[in-house]
Amino acid sequence: MKAHLMSCLNKVRADYVEIRYEEIRTTEIHYVGKEVERIGEWEEKGGGIRAKFKGGWSFVSFNDLESLEKNLELAVKQARLLKRGKIKLAPVAPHDEIISLDLRKDPRRISLEEKYFLLSRYNQTLLSHEDIQTSDLKYADIHTIKYFVNSEGTYIQQEKMDMVLGMTAIARKGDNIQTAHEGIGGTGGYEIIEGREKEAEEVSRRALSLLDAEPFPGGRYTIIVDPKLAGIFAHEAFGHLSEADFLYENKRLARIMRLGRVFGSEELDIIDEAPIKGEGGHYLYDDEGVPAGKTYLIRQGKLVRRLHSRETAAKMGEAPTGNARAVSYEYPPIVRMSNTYIAPRAKTLEEMIDEVEEGLYVKGFRGGQTNLEMFTFSPEEGYIIEKGRLGKKFRDINLTGNIFTTLSNIDAIGRDLVLFTGSGGCGKGSQYPLPVATGGPHLRIKDVVVGGR
Amino acid sequence: MERILDMVASQAQEAEVYQVRSQVKTVKFQANRLKSVDSASEEGIGLRVIRKGKIGFSSTTDGDDPHLLIQRALDSSQFGQEAHFHLPSSGKVPLINCHDTRTAALEAQEMIEKGEKAIRLVRKKFPYLECEAEIEKMERKVSIINSRGLNQSYKKTDYQFFLYGFLAREEEFLGVGEEESSSTYGDYSRTLAERLIELVSLAKRRVRISSGKYPAIFTSKAVPLLLKSLKMGINGKVVQKKVSPLLKKMRTYIASSSLNIVDDATFPFGPASSPLDGEGIPSRPTQIIEKGRLKSFIYDLQTAGLMRTRSTANAARSYDSLPSPSTTNLILKEGEVSFEEMIHDIKEGILVDQVIGSGQGNTLMGEFSVNLDLGYKIEDGKIKGRVKDVMISGNTYKMLKELAAIGSEARFVGSTRTPPLYFKEINVVG
Repeated sequence: MKAHLMSCLNKVRADYVEIRYEEIRTTEIHYVGKEVERIGEWEEKGGGIRAKFKGGWSFVSFNDLESLEKNLELAVKQARLLKRGKIKLAPVAPHDEIISLDLRKDPRRISLEEKYFLLSRYNQTLLSHEDIQTSDLKYADIHTIKYFVNSEGTYIQQEKMDMVLGMTAIARKGDNIQTAHEGIGGTGGYEIIEGREKEAEEVSRRALSLLDAEPFPGGRYTIIVDPKLAGIFAHEAFGHLSEADFLYENKRLARIMRLGRVFGSEELDIIDEAPIKGEGGHYLYDDEGVPAGKTYLIRQGKLVRRLHSRETAAKMGEAPTGNARAVSYEYPPIVRMSNTYIAPRAKTLEEMIDEVEEGLYVKGFRGGQTNLEMFTFSPEEGYIIEKGRLGKKFRDINLTGNIFTTLSNIDAIGRDLVLFTGSGGCGKGSQYPLPVATGGPHLRIKDVVVGGR
Repeated sequence: MERILDMVASQAQEAEVYQVRSQVKTVKFQANRLKSVDSASEEGIGLRVIRKGKIGFSSTTDGDDPHLLIQRALDSSQFGQEAHFHLPSSGKVPLINCHDTRTAALEAQEMIEKGEKAIRLVRKKFPYLECEAEIEKMERKVSIINSRGLNQSYKKTDYQFFLYGFLAREEEFLGVGEEESSSTYGDYSRTLAERLIELVSLAKRRVRISSGKYPAIFTSKAVPLLLKSLKMGINGKVVQKKVSPLLKKMRTYIASSSLNIVDDATFPFGPASSPLDGEGIPSRPTQIIEKGRLKSFIYDLQTAGLMRTRSTANAARSYDSLPSPSTTNLILKEGEVSFEEMIHDIKEGILVDQVIGSGQGNTLMGEFSVNLDLGYKIEDGKIKGRVKDVMISGNTYKMLKELAAIGSEARFVGSTRTPPLYFKEINVVG
């Protein structure tokens, strides 16, 4: 493959050219209620070419490897339509590396039948109560070999295995329908999704208990978020804002996001770190062939770095961070997070609750979104806190806040850091779902708008 | 394709080969300038089999070696769902306007000019606005053949134009997106630029709103947020699993008697128009809500079989997925009240255009609770200015019953064609 890609690449002329080629094999089992919606294996092969000429890019994707030379020519021709300006790329030394898999339990060696039996057991557990109307249970193992070659002499071959287990229970009593979900995932072997009966039981129990919870009326509260939500908070309420592609060409924004600006208390560290083994956002080289590392975005409350592609790094005069990622060969790499988390501090959850006169403790994750000024995220359930004690349970809660002020409203950071990969992923533009992990310890945040019914 | 079908025929009761070939061209503008010109060619094959009464499936992008594809599809059938249908045999295919040779032949250069024009128009009015644009055209060829004699194919084009304006005023951001999509090319640069300019102009002034219940108008762009729940509720799969809140509501009033909604893949040049659904069933309109009453759910073959009814030709799929029910063009019929009349009718209320955080709550039950990304306050029959930092919440099903008026001008937003809607009450938390 290396020789073939290199020789094709050498035949075209542009300022810069890269080829990614991917071979993807997926096994999936999907239960909805008692029925298997989908089971089986399939494969996909395809490539993406990116060419740069003066002020612009061209990206060409394809499935048929035999059309590579033709597509390379098309990419170069299209790039020449962009006549104005000049794009620079931050320098990166050429690398030549093959990264192979090291799995404890390779899912490719496990029969479809064995996977089917495991999923059937989980599904029975999910459906074990009469008020659970249906389930949605999805298993996938996705094996990818990714080849990368560019006109600067870099060749990288990376192999990975993504594991996904998504468990949803839907409870129903009359007109009242409630959903609970648990996503388990990561890069690694079959062991990641084995022995999850307890989680399946828990999901089912949570869905049932939501039937009896009341909708939350809404208002402004001090809230305590669990590690799952803290991770989403790191991702939505700050992470996206640190992606340099939204500000590198906008001077006003760059001024707002100047390095050194204080965003939170001295206790606050937010980190993006791709090389954490086993997490969903794990990789050693990004999709531009840049080595990945650990990037402090916020250190002691101050903005210290941001996430870059080679283009945004060059434009802003900063070092590349290895955060250019593409969801698949069908898309060009753009600036994305990997594993993003808030570093732990000293407080225990009990201490945090104890100090709250009136507030809300929220747990579990349903979703989150940002427009880079405001963010929203939805917990699965919430408990009212009155005079330092947990009280009644509520559902239908949605939290919102302003990114620039909310981080400084974090007034307590817990000691219990947990990272979650989940079964979904992050979406940006049309690129979804990209595997990422998010995490943090319990956090307490003052003055958050809680939307309810 | 025929070869795969021949090879698998003796090993399965029924078999179907579904092939997609598509060509996409996209031009992207960033920071007011052309940034990238992209092409994509996709090609894939999906094989569905019924063997010993059970469904098996696999797919590949490599059609040259069908042995593995066939083996995987057959292997998966032993654990697959019991089939409750027969594949369709040959039938008459309706003539639907969903392909346009001009769109298929469109060159990148022309798309670049349209993008430049739209951005120039916006920047002439607001030089400090940073614009993005994405213009995309696609031609797709779909072929479906099955062991019961069906052998059909059709071509479809798509054209999409997205324009976005962004402004950072200190730490207050304003982002406005406008979009048009169709199966055929149109010069949308002026329409989109004008709509964007209007929304930005209205947002110049910031006004406050206190928490409470207010009447609300949803622009066409905002209506799909509400219809998310309805789309789930009428989905044959959700109905079959007995988790649709509409389960026992057939023929009863689920909305104001002025509301009519049709799912219609035959709509001329609609974004989701096609002559056949993903299983080769000829497209036809399905009345979902008639004068407020629920008339039909939407089904593919399998969910229809399970529910002992007929497919409504709503099987959606790509080459690498099994069919599943989904809406095509969802058409909400226009009413008689103009947008201006709606605004004029409100003493104190809000106009909702863009939100963030939709789909995070209990969407199935109709609940939504979202941040108002772009919204305006209406006072004494006039749009006063932008409101932000508030959440709006409500329940789709409850609101559809309490519709105050339906707008007189509809347009496509994605594959939903809708006028603005005026509701009696929505909850605002600030």
